[in-house]
Amino acid sequence: MIQVWLRNFLFFKKTFLVSLFWTVFEPLMYLAAFGFGFGRYIPPIESLPFVDFYFPGLLCSSAMMVSYFESTYPNYTKLTHQKIFSTMLLTPLTHQQILMGEILWSATKGLLGASGVMLISVFFGLASFQFIFIMPILFLLSLIFAAFGMSIVSVAKNYDSFVFSTSGFIVPLSLISGTYFSLKDMPQLIQWLAYLFPLSHGVQLCRHLLYQKINFFTDSIHFLILLLYAGGLIFFANTLFRRKIVS
Amino acid sequence: MSIALSAVNLKKNYNNVAAIKGINLEVKQGECFGILGPNGAGKSTLLKMIYGQVLPSSGDLFVLGLNTKDQFTEIKSRIGIVPQGDGLDTDFNAIENLKLFATYFKMNTNLALMRIEHLLHEMKLASHQYHHIDALSGGMRRRLAIARALLHDPEMLIMDEPTTGLDPQARLWIWTYFEKLKSQKKTIILTTHYMEEAEKLCDRIAIVDQGAILDLGTTTQLIQKYIGIEVIELEVGTEKNYWSVKIKSQGLDFQDFENKLFIYFQSVQQRQNFLEHIQNAHYLIRDANLNDVFLKAAGYQIRGNA
Repeated sequence: MIQVWLRNFLFFKKTFLVSLFWTVFEPLMYLAAFGFGFGRYIPPIESLPFVDFYFPGLLCSSAMMVSYFESTYPNYTKLTHQKIFSTMLLTPLTHQQILMGEILWSATKGLLGASGVMLISVFFGLASFQFIFIMPILFLLSLIFAAFGMSIVSVAKNYDSFVFSTSGFIVPLSLISGTYFSLKDMPQLIQWLAYLFPLSHGVQLCRHLLYQKINFFTDSIHFLILLLYAGGLIFFANTLFRRKIVS
Repeated sequence: MSIALSAVNLKKNYNNVAAIKGINLEVKQGECFGILGPNGAGKSTLLKMIYGQVLPSSGDLFVLGLNTKDQFTEIKSRIGIVPQGDGLDTDFNAIENLKLFATYFKMNTNLALMRIEHLLHEMKLASHQYHHIDALSGGMRRRLAIARALLHDPEMLIMDEPTTGLDPQARLWIWTYFEKLKSQKKTIILTTHYMEEAEKLCDRIAIVDQGAILDLGTTTQLIQKYIGIEVIELEVGTEKNYWSVKIKSQGLDFQDFENKLFIYFQSVQQRQNFLEHIQNAHYLIRDANLNDVFLKAAGYQIRGNA
């Protein structure tokens, strides 16, 4: 498993700048435009200035986006054009090890992207010791969306298939999960819908951890739901991936 | 342990269509075994079952005494595979490809580096080791794939059409190299549709078509059994029926191939006798070869799906 992770890391070293550019700078542009720019005209939400309210949402959706994109397009290329997974299967590596290696790598990349944003946000005066506590949550979120990505890779017919999962699921999720607005003020239906999916739970947890508003009971439930999502999606991805590469 | 591979009533169905229809096969250790067949015969499916990319629908398959049902990890640590299309990692250069593979096999780093240096040299790739995969010629890529398969010093080598798409020089080089591997007593299983390749390299050959083994034996045995020693290619044009009757009346075996008849002879004397009856016809006398066997066993027709 770790060998698969290592292969990706070695490739990442070669393409470091490209990777850095979209994983870190893109979220920073959002932070600047929405958080600091647009946010100046907005009254506090949940008694937090908009930029503070938005920041954990941005970190979570960055982790989601980066891990999802990292596990879809490159892995679909490895599966189809490069046939790298087939080649790995010529070695003692099993399909589970390949899958877990890839999920772990995409999750690493997700965490790395979000961490990059955190690191640079220090210069914007958003530094906080609490960053350390939200990192495991960001990693867990990354695992979830990496596993989701690998599931889509295993059933995709071509690159267009990802348009549906991206525009139909990932992007709407980044908008409705309590990232830009408080879910508390939303109609019950929107709240239900948002809490049906994992991103909102991650955002809530991170926001509570970052601003020390932990409620042990509800936050344990948020955490448990994330764990269940991670376990379930990894199991699901494993089933689909096996069907795809072993006949 | 003298049996390297054993298949017992091995079957594979895809959506109720049989791709492999009950294959029984034994390959001895140190043997070079060829699987011959047209496109779509089931050669690759059979090979993929050996290394676990295709799982049998029923039957048993043992590789190096290990059951493919539950011992794939160990099997794969002891066999080397050259797949069709090489499967090289195009994100890395030649030497990096080998280093990556060594990590997949969890090889000791020092040992791996020694093996890599040795193999790059042996495969005449040392001067291209830092070249990107896309910058290598087809022959180089295939040699790199062979080096990669030999990295962990496997007991058995499995190659799916190892010389398909290569130019004659590259093919000849690979054949010579295989001779060397054979002298090291490595078991080799290869598929091919080049009769020349099978004839030159393989100790025994299985002729496979439509998912079944049509026949199996040494080249000499198969040629002797199906053909004899010599073949006359007789150009018959529109007089096919006339010639067919004439050849049959002499008790000779033949095959109809477009505007030619291939007539098979068990002895030179038999051929001499036949030639005495031929006037005003174009013909060619040649030694019987595996091509004749293959065409006779698998039939002459070019299939719609081939």
